[in-house]
Formats: sequence, structure tokens, C-alpha cells
Amino acid sequence: MDWLTEFPELGRRDLRDFRKGIDQGFKEFTRSYGENIELFFEPLLHFLIWLEKLLLATPWPLFIAIVALVAWLASRSIKIVVGSAISLFLIGFLGMWEDTMSTVSIIIVCTLLCIGLGLPIGILMSRSDRAQGIVTPILDVMQTIPSFVYLIPVVMLLGIGKVPGLISVIIYAIPPMIRLTNLGIRLVDKEVLEAADAFGASPWQKLTQVQIPLALPNIFAGVNQTIMMSLAMVVIASMIGVTGLGQPVLKAISNQYLAMGLFNGLAIVALAIIFDRISQSYGKRLQSYRGGQGE
Amino acid sequence: MKQLIGAALTAGALLSGAQTFAADCGKVVIGEMNWASGEFLARLDGLIMSEGYQCDVEYLTAGTMPQITSMTEKGTPDIASELWANAAVVVIDAAIAENRLVKLNPGPISGAGEGWMMSAAAAKAHPELKTIDDVIARPDLFPHPEDPSKGGLHTCPSGWGCQLATNNLFRAFDMEAKGWRLVETGSGAGLDGSIAKASERGENWIGYYWAPTTFASKYDLQLVDFNSGFDKEHWDNCIVLPVEDCDAPKRSRWTASEVVSLAQTDFTKRAPEAASYVENRVFSPALLKKYLVYMDSNQASGEEAAVEFLLNEESTWSKWVSKEAAELIKKAL
Repeated sequence: MDWLTEFPELGRRDLRDFRKGIDQGFKEFTRSYGENIELFFEPLLHFLIWLEKLLLATPWPLFIAIVALVAWLASRSIKIVVGSAISLFLIGFLGMWEDTMSTVSIIIVCTLLCIGLGLPIGILMSRSDRAQGIVTPILDVMQTIPSFVYLIPVVMLLGIGKVPGLISVIIYAIPPMIRLTNLGIRLVDKEVLEAADAFGASPWQKLTQVQIPLALPNIFAGVNQTIMMSLAMVVIASMIGVTGLGQPVLKAISNQYLAMGLFNGLAIVALAIIFDRISQSYGKRLQSYRGGQGE
Repeated sequence: MKQLIGAALTAGALLSGAQTFAADCGKVVIGEMNWASGEFLARLDGLIMSEGYQCDVEYLTAGTMPQITSMTEKGTPDIASELWANAAVVVIDAAIAENRLVKLNPGPISGAGEGWMMSAAAAKAHPELKTIDDVIARPDLFPHPEDPSKGGLHTCPSGWGCQLATNNLFRAFDMEAKGWRLVETGSGAGLDGSIAKASERGENWIGYYWAPTTFASKYDLQLVDFNSGFDKEHWDNCIVLPVEDCDAPKRSRWTASEVVSLAQTDFTKRAPEAASYVENRVFSPALLKKYLVYMDSNQASGEEAAVEFLLNEESTWSKWVSKEAAELIKKAL
């Protein structure tokens, strides 16, 4: 009855050769294509460095003023404006300004890329059940696979630093953007679409003038989640050399510096709240017309 | 029920059998470190003690600090084969002074140490880079990944002790003014990844690393000669402190790493023969490198590498053990 208790596993030697084969194959891949892939991402690296330098060179009062202005335009709430300005000032006052600017620059680029990539994929998924069937399990993998598993190949391909860090953040943060775009468009009323058809709208007009506008609240929830998740990944990304608020957090963890960890951790939280409140209240304002016209 | 009693009896018989079998040296707990060379050394000691000296060997796997704490506080493991003693000099010295622990072997691995290393490709293509000063003069050979106009020195991961030393030495050698910037590696995996990437593609790389390690062996990293004296006072009171606490770092070579085989005094009395084997066991850098590379290229465990070592290097290990033990080990193989 051995075959019942002993699992029919691959022999030790075969298993080893199998794993070695995969490793070797990947190594050969990086040897022959690594440099080209790196070249492909080089514009992204330049943009990241440029943005970080720009943020660092911006006088701090100007930066706080810009954030306050954006907060005002997006939310029209004096509470959010004052709260953002005060927390940014505190961050700078406690000596974390430069790290915060690095983090903000990577979050901005990450969010833009997630929107740019996620929106079309989400739209594609909403229009084709087959696409949805293929993409959904991929998103599941992206959200649950332990990040270090894909950090190893990313580091082998691109080395350490900003670009591999950015890629790992995007892998983790893009799924909500795709999922909620898909969901939002699918939730648009059939009757509204029928009405659009009746007016003779082309598919493109239907998409841009009916479906996306009606799905905007959901899409904005996606943007908001993407920002939150990329901030949560900042610490992991700093494990492969991304500068920013994650580095001091790692340092604090391994040296048990309580205050240092707390300050930098809270700075990440403060950034998250600022981004969250601004994007959420903007999302809400987008649907405020509904209260007036709807039901 | 009968079966249960039977099982209990067999287990009891097995246990008592093991005890009589190990009567010569008794139970030995070996502290196994959780990295390649630590695993290999511990398993080799275990095999030699169990086959050659009839010990009843157990392994306890953990990192450096837990091993030291357990050795001083709980009296177990009996022996730590490869212990990097710098991590807790004070605790270890106190325990030695109280005659509870003993440094059985002051240097089981010759040539162990840490410092700045460069990739094999860089050392081969530029033999003129002999000392740190030659390297610092050529930042163009080691471009920083985010700013290719500067040289990039890969510093130690955030929070590791070596990060402070590397960053202070970076200042001591005035490298910023000479066109260098630090590359943050973030974590051990990040540091390893940057070495693997550069070495696989034959690129130049320079940064902090230590030997004997799988990576240093596999990629043949070359230690850079620091070409400086060493002042313990200055090292302890400036170089290893945070940047704010070290106003004027001076150039210095890296502190010597003390790698020892540490044992309970009790163990050396209980099993003097096994202890004398540990005293004799010294690896040359090349020999250890060979088995670390073997472990890596075959994804082999420490135990497999130890067996391989016993099979192939009889001329070496037979000098470490007594004649009778050598016979017993050969028979077991």
C-alpha cells in the first residue's frame, strides 16, 4: 500500500534537473535579452529621475501650495486643503522631505502608468467575456503571488533601482484599476445603452460619451485603490533599492529604532490619506450631478 | 491497542539502542547556521562525529544571534561550527571567561572576511586596479545605474551594521568628490540580485560583500585591497557608528572578521576526541569555495555536499581525525 502513503513525486534528481533547467533557461534569457529590455525601459528611468529631481528642486512652499491648490480644485473642501498642507509641513519638519519627494515621484509615475495601462485593459475586458476569462486569473496571480517571487527575475533582468521597483509596484497595484473599470462599464444600465443605440451612436461614441462617463465613479474608486496599494508597496520596493520612505522603514525594522520606523511609517500614511481624500472627493464630485437629476 | 503497545515498545527499544550505540560520545547538538557554508560545515561535523566518533548527533538551525544566545543561556547547542563572533564579542568573551564556552578552533576557514569586492569581469579586464585608490580613480568603469556619469558603489542593505561602515568609509576616501555615488541595495536579496545580474552579463560591479559565501565563490568576486592601516579605536568609535556620530572618518582597512568554532566546555570534556577533530579542521579558501560552488550548481543541501567532500577529499580530512575514526568513516562511506 506504499503508493497510498507515499506521494508519487518526481525523483530528487529529476526535480533538481527540472529546477536547474528553468533557472538556466532564465539565465540564458537574461544574458541575451537583458540589455535590450533594459534599453526599452530606459526612457521610463529617465522620466523617473527627472521627476524626482524636479520635485526635489521645487521650493517647499511652492510644492505645498500646489498640493493645496490641487486639493481645493478636486474637493472644494477647506478641511482637506488645510489638512494636506499641515501634514506635508510636519513631514518636512521631521526631516523626511527628500525621502517623501522620492516616494511621491514614484507614486505619481506608477499611478499614471496604472491608469494608462489599466483603463484600456478594463475596457477590453468589459467588451469581451473571453478577455475577461483570460485576464481575471492573471489579475488573481498578480495580487496574491508573494512579491519576492517575481522580484528575483525582475532584479536579474533589470538590476536594482527605480525601474524594477516601479514594475513590482505596478504588478501589485494595477489589478483594482482594471477590475473596477471593467465592473463600472458592465454596470451601466442596458436601457441607457439602448437609448444611445436608438440615437444612432457609434460604438466609439457609446463608449466615450455614455459608458465611461457613467462608469467614472467606479473608475475613480479603482484609481484610488491603485494609489493606496502602490503606497503600501513602497516598503517592499525599497528592498530592491528604491529610494524613498521605505529605506528608513527597513533600517528601523532591522535596528529596532521605534521612533524612526513610526515617523516614516506615519509619513506614508499621511501621503496615503492626502491622495485618498483628494481622489475620493473628486470622484464624489463627479457624481454629484446624480443627486440632482436622478431618482 | 496491541499495535500501539508494540509501537511504543519498538520506539523504546530504538531509543535505548541509540543510547548504547552512542555511548562513546553521547548526544551532541550541532548549531547549524542558516547559510550555505554554515550548513556545510555543520553537516560535515555531524557526519564525522556520528560515523567516526559514534556520537548521537542532532542539529539546531538558526542565525548567529539566536545561536549565541542559546549557547550562553541554555547551554545548547554543544558546538557552533562556523560562528561569526564579531556579532557578539562581549557576550562570548564573558562566557569564555566564566569557562562555560571555549573557542575550539580560532579559524576554521582561512581567508574569511568582508569588505568591498569587485566582479570577476572587472578584475580581469582591468588588472591595473590593484588597490582601492586605483579603483576610486576610475568611477567611469563602474557607472551608477541612475546616473551613469558617476561611479556607483553598492552599499550594504539598510539596517545592516556594514551599511554604516561602508557609508563612513565612502566619506573617508572622499569618494563623492571623486565622482562616486552610493547605490542603495535595500535588502540582502537586492544586493545578491545586483551581483548576479552584473556577473551573469560580465559587467563591472563594485560593492560590499563577504566571503566565504556562495555568491563570492560562484561569481569569483575579488576583494579590493584597502591599502590602509587599521586603528581599532577609530573603527569602533567612528566608522561603525551612524554618520552623524562620526565627524571625521579616516581611511581604514576593514576590521578582521573573527570566524570561530565555539563549543561548550562541557562538550570538550565529554567528547575530547571529537573536540580534537574540530581543533584540526581548517579549510583553505579554495577548498571551501569548491564545495560552495558544488552546492550551488547542484542545488545540493549541506549534507549532500558534506558526503561529497568525504568521498573526494580523503587526504584532507584523514589528517583531521584519529586513525580509528578515519577507518570507521571510510567503512560508512
